[in-house]
Amino acid sequence: MGSFADAIDRIVAGNRVFAHDTAEQDPKYFSKLSEGQWPDILWIGCADSRVPETTICNCKPGEIFVHRNIANCVHPHDVNTSAVVQYSVGVVKVKKVVVCGHTMCGGANHSLTDDDLGETLNTWLHPMRELRRKHKSELDALPDNNARSARVAELNVQSSLNVLREHPAIKQAVNERGLTLHGMIFDITSGQLRLLDEGGSKKSNGLWSPN
Amino acid sequence: MQKYLTQSHDRIFENNRVWAEEQKKKNPEFFAKLKEGQSPDYLWIGCSDSRIPAEAITGLGPGEMFIHRNIANLVCNVDLNVMSVVNYAVRHLKVKHIVVCGHYGCGGVKAAMTPKDMGLLNPWLRNIRDVYRLHESELDKIEDEEKRYDRLVELNVVEQCRNVVKTAALQTSYKENGYPIVHGWVFGFHDGRLVDLKIDFEGMLKGIQKLYNLTD
Repeated sequence: MGSFADAIDRIVAGNRVFAHDTAEQDPKYFSKLSEGQWPDILWIGCADSRVPETTICNCKPGEIFVHRNIANCVHPHDVNTSAVVQYSVGVVKVKKVVVCGHTMCGGANHSLTDDDLGETLNTWLHPMRELRRKHKSELDALPDNNARSARVAELNVQSSLNVLREHPAIKQAVNERGLTLHGMIFDITSGQLRLLDEGGSKKSNGLWSPN
Repeated sequence: MQKYLTQSHDRIFENNRVWAEEQKKKNPEFFAKLKEGQSPDYLWIGCSDSRIPAEAITGLGPGEMFIHRNIANLVCNVDLNVMSVVNYAVRHLKVKHIVVCGHYGCGGVKAAMTPKDMGLLNPWLRNIRDVYRLHESELDKIEDEEKRYDRLVELNVVEQCRNVVKTAALQTSYKENGYPIVHGWVFGFHDGRLVDLKIDFEGMLKGIQKLYNLTD
């Protein structure tokens, strides 16, 4: 029981340091934060503890609107993700939507097989396992399971982007104010983000690129 | 592509490159260790609001906190998305703590109480109106609107903690292992500090098990 309480003490203390240091660096910081949020980006990423978006992008609180779930999946009938998209694109009016997968992803690893993860997770990962089946020959040709898992993560990002493109709020924002969508992979082994190509149809635009 | 990226004012990639280099400088083994896997102590269920990056406001680094964020930090029992997160965190990662964290001034909570058809947001935000209904007499007595919203934010966190406690994953793991423990917190923008609502986890578990017991 002792060590359990310590883990909580640790993050409470971490928060006090954050609050103190931030206010010291910029005394107006928190009063500005109270005024509202104007993030440019909606980030749909994995719940994996190794991919904390604000940290790995060296951003500050207020810059990235976030949804994180198991393996950054966007399923068409998911009310949770739909609500996030509707609010961030329709109300907060972000300018870019990012779907970010990553290498060594537990969800992608588990999608390489049909191992039983329990009914809840089997159901959640079903579309990702279907991707694996659909791309079997391509995946079989890869050297090892790390490479296969990384490729499934990429395919899953593309598939999530395809679902997002049909979301009514996104369709409207793309047409009316030039909202853009971007797929990325975070490489756990190097800490680097990589932008996915749009299938060669159009040259990819990075974030904050000059118009 | 590479040429394009290096030439553009690509802030996110530039920032990420700087961050990755700094980590390597501080600890050359950093990414090799991350590669081995994750064993976080915490699951964080928080709001999607851009101002509350969980790891940053708690001083944690990559690998330490499993994170789910949605509109108004809701845990709905028919939502496969959040249920998959809880399931994976409890049964596979064996987290020791689950923190449900709301925040004062939550736009989702305000939107939920606005008399307006919000389309796809309706079914999601409806859950917050249900929290209000459960505590209607207490909330109606608060005259100041901001204070009433702040109290609704707190009551919503407590209700979502209860929803976590209702899951089979939590009940089974707690019975077998004595963890995870559920905590309800609220973040305040005015000072950047977390407030512990000090929910009585054991009492809550016992309370719900009269009707929601899923253990043998």
